Amino acid sequence: MARAWFDKREYGAAWGIRAGRSLALMVGRRAARFLLWPVTAYFFVVARDGRQGLAAYHAHITPGGAGLAQLFHHHLTFARTILDRTYLLARHKDAPPYEIHGFENVEQALQSGTGAVLLGAHLGSFEAARAAGFLRPDLKIQVIMHPGISRKLNSILAALHPGAEQSVVTLGGPAALLQVKETLAEGGLVGVMGDRVRAGEETYEASFLGETASFPLGPLRLAAALGAPVFFFTALYRRAVDGSCYYELVFKPLSGPAPPGPLRAAWMRDLGARYVSALEAYCRIAPDNWFNFYDFWQSEVGRGGRRRTSVDGSREQGRGAPTAVGGAGTATHPEPRRKP
Amino acid sequence: MNTEQTDFEREIAQLLVSSLNLALDPAAIDPQAPLFREGLGLDSIDMLEIALAISQHYGIQLRSDDPENATIFASLRALAATIAARRA
Repeated sequence: MARAWFDKREYGAAWGIRAGRSLALMVGRRAARFLLWPVTAYFFVVARDGRQGLAAYHAHITPGGAGLAQLFHHHLTFARTILDRTYLLARHKDAPPYEIHGFENVEQALQSGTGAVLLGAHLGSFEAARAAGFLRPDLKIQVIMHPGISRKLNSILAALHPGAEQSVVTLGGPAALLQVKETLAEGGLVGVMGDRVRAGEETYEASFLGETASFPLGPLRLAAALGAPVFFFTALYRRAVDGSCYYELVFKPLSGPAPPGPLRAAWMRDLGARYVSALEAYCRIAPDNWFNFYDFWQSEVGRGGRRRTSVDGSREQGRGAPTAVGGAGTATHPEPRRKP
Repeated sequence: MNTEQTDFEREIAQLLVSSLNLALDPAAIDPQAPLFREGLGLDSIDMLEIALAISQHYGIQLRSDDPENATIFASLRALAATIAARRA
């Protein structure tokens, strides 16, 4: 069951990456963008679940909901970002331009030697994070991924941009995250997604676009453990007045390094609240950049993974699971710590 | 095989419980049970916390590229043995 939605959600990315890669570098961006129309139309018709998932999102953010035309255009935006990723990673001459906002805050953090954590979302093109790396070739950027997705992505990255595959850390083995700590110690950046909940994951709840949704607790715990400052990151696909497209890379400070011990609970609660409110704000700025093609609020996934009926307080206090995030109308179910 | 904790294993068990805030008596950890996922049910973030606590307490840096990582984190016993060996 859990496996099924997981595959479905990544399905879009898989076809997009494959289609994008082969077309893009061969025919150039102009022609490739034209070809995206029939490709997107095909998947728009076939992938009914994705369409319905997006409709649920628009019901939360677009007054009156979205019509078919708007939903189709949203799919097209997704396809375009996948296509652009190819040019950005290959540093192709057709790579779209980008603007950077708020990176000075990150630079400041990097100078202090702690490294920084970028908390992202499936909003815009996280891959364009690498575009930020182009500014300073010495800046190491590492992205944490779940196995499966990263395996697929790695082979593509290796083809497009030799060396880039090393910047993806795959969760799996017990020592996987040591690599992340090492990157931060070298003054690098580490990116992790904070929006999608995977089966069995611990969650916190927050009000998101007017309704309670679940978010994964892991990224907050990781940020706390790493002891580095945390920034919200997104690379929004925008359209200029003259009709041309560009990316707007946004780095927004969320929290300083986590305090030790008992103060972590409040720190994580605060980080979760700020993350969700930043996510909501940027969704409103660029609604068609939302690339979670499932019902974020209603699906089993969006509703959270592991649930326990009994509450065992000790670990959740220690870990500091958020208890109220996102202001009014929110409820939280801090997940109890599993016992052996 | 001996499932009793040695004194040093007890010390490491206490470090695990306090750094991860586990609702657990350190003496109750089976030194041969897997730490990761099954067994104690710790995840990769917990493992990172453990590595950080070990570096703080014993000055031992566990590295991601250590070829012995699969065995080091296998159990309380393996972890304690690694620390004891590298501390010396």
